[in-house]
Amino acid sequence: MSTDKLLLELKAVSKSFGSTNVLAHIDLAVRDGEFITILGPSGSGKTTILRMIGGFESPSSGQILLDGADISPLPINKRPFNTVFQDYALFPHMTVAANVGYGLKVRGTKNAEITDRVSQALALVQLADFAGRYPAQLSGGQRQRVALARAIICRPRLILLDEPLAALDVELRRHMQLFLKDIQREIKTTFLFVTHDQEEAIAMADRICVMNAGHIQQLGSAHEVYYRPANEFVARFFGDNNLIEGRLQETVDGIRWIETPLGRLACAIDGQAGVAAASLGARAFAAFRPESLSLTPTGHASENATRGCITALSFAGAHTLANVAVDAAEPLSLRLRLPSRVEGVAVTPGMIVDLYWRAVECRLVLV
Amino acid sequence: MSRRRFKPATASSHWPATGAVFAFPIAFILLPLAAFLAYSFFWTEQGVMSYALTLRNYARFFTDPVFLPVLRQTCVLCLEVAFLTVLAGYPVAYFLASLRGRIRYILLMLMLVPLLMSYVIKIYAIRSILGGHGALNRALLWLGLIDEPLTVFVFNLNAVLLTLTVLLIPFAVLPIFLSLERIPRSLMDASADLGASATQTFMRVILPLSLPGTITALTFVFVLAIGDFLTPQMVGGQSGFTFGRIIYSQFGTAFNWPFGAALSVILAVVVIAAIALGTIFGRDRSALK
Repeated sequence: MSTDKLLLELKAVSKSFGSTNVLAHIDLAVRDGEFITILGPSGSGKTTILRMIGGFESPSSGQILLDGADISPLPINKRPFNTVFQDYALFPHMTVAANVGYGLKVRGTKNAEITDRVSQALALVQLADFAGRYPAQLSGGQRQRVALARAIICRPRLILLDEPLAALDVELRRHMQLFLKDIQREIKTTFLFVTHDQEEAIAMADRICVMNAGHIQQLGSAHEVYYRPANEFVARFFGDNNLIEGRLQETVDGIRWIETPLGRLACAIDGQAGVAAASLGARAFAAFRPESLSLTPTGHASENATRGCITALSFAGAHTLANVAVDAAEPLSLRLRLPSRVEGVAVTPGMIVDLYWRAVECRLVLV
Repeated sequence: MSRRRFKPATASSHWPATGAVFAFPIAFILLPLAAFLAYSFFWTEQGVMSYALTLRNYARFFTDPVFLPVLRQTCVLCLEVAFLTVLAGYPVAYFLASLRGRIRYILLMLMLVPLLMSYVIKIYAIRSILGGHGALNRALLWLGLIDEPLTVFVFNLNAVLLTLTVLLIPFAVLPIFLSLERIPRSLMDASADLGASATQTFMRVILPLSLPGTITALTFVFVLAIGDFLTPQMVGGQSGFTFGRIIYSQFGTAFNWPFGAALSVILAVVVIAAIALGTIFGRDRSALK
């Protein structure tokens, strides 16, 4: 598990290619032993961060510190990090064992020790029987695990993973997510994992760093990022949040009120200093999740309520999504998520329903 | 999901196209070769052709003390040419492959420009460079390395070796460049990432992965060099005698077509053996898919 000791720090790191700014003033601290995910849409600069840490690119300005010392002068092959590449980058002319042992071989490790450590690493990734195969004879998931074994065998301080699961099918990807997480717990090494997949980030990371357009949007635990989005981008990036725009009102007993077309909504503000400090009348969104909406009163002291008409249902397996048209000053549509049942859900199109949601699951996002 | 199977059209509907595809190589490659093979079993003496099948031409090749040594010498010469072109061509191919963007293809095209020029003109040009008053001798004189022009560069086997090497370098560069270009950039990143120095990456990743192209280059140049009779004819003089020249003289001056055909068949066997060896050793072990 992660400690509070810092392993790696990015200080005011910027990167531009020609006149294009890819990263602007990135500050990021990676704790020793944590599983940190950099999440963002393509073009957000997340892979560039990874490549700069690995040494494949150098920052245009700013510093990258390892244990407090600047590693800018260190070439790729002198950095105590190893990378799992997106296309795995296995050496096609070498067997699985030779691929995994490569990092030790080039460091001049004795052959007996290489053999030992290769079999340990292959056992760890459950590929002990595949040592003599060539990469072309393996499935995608197996290649993935070879790439992982090859990265961990040199006992790096940090393992960089560049969208390593992107090429796998959904089922295998779920399996590999759990597998990677288990390995990370077992070898107690810091993992920095880059992905564009929100669910993947939530499933694996101790902390998520959400990126967009070269800026860090939010850094926090999966729970924080999901339930307390720092801005509109993060709020929209995870799931299909309901965002209702309005104007901020007063704070009473840790609840800040906002005037919206749905009426006055109560929103919890704990852990959101910016929202608490925002001035009266400032524009903001009330953000609440489709699964936070309930058809019956929640029984909670402070809850919000509204009435609307079901316009459409879409069955999505474990749950069913409903669109609810709310009769407000302007036409609004909310998304409601209900657990699926074999006989169908409790609502049908055309039905008028009352919706309730707790203030703690209604959060404010400044515009 | 319905199972749909790819069903090839029946063979009969294809035969005009298939026939046309095969007719061309049969008419222009296979038949001439077969004619040579047939001729090699005939015999001619005093200008009189005998069409009775005989192995006397082959017997003459193996018993006459002239021919086997020339064939061996020619094979050695062409192997030397092949290795020299690869030695010279590999760095060029490596440099081209390391370039990014348009410049690499512009340079590649420039390197291939000599292929568009007449072979004879190129040989003449090189002969004048190698000659007694040629640029090479004058440069050596100017540098003070020699006191008078050397004659070792022209009208002997050295001249054949140098000329063939210079002429065939582009044929070595191309296959090596193609195999280097196919190596994904991420493999070099991965190698460095795992701690390898640039030299280690070259020796352990780049060189082995470009080996199939390098062996193709060796085979390619060897086959082109061994079939060449023009270059030795023009720069070889009296001592630069090669197997190609012998075959040429059988057709051109001795008018012994059957014996020339038998020598051609023997050369073809050598070439086929070289290509077979190249295929075996140049097999891309990584493409086991």
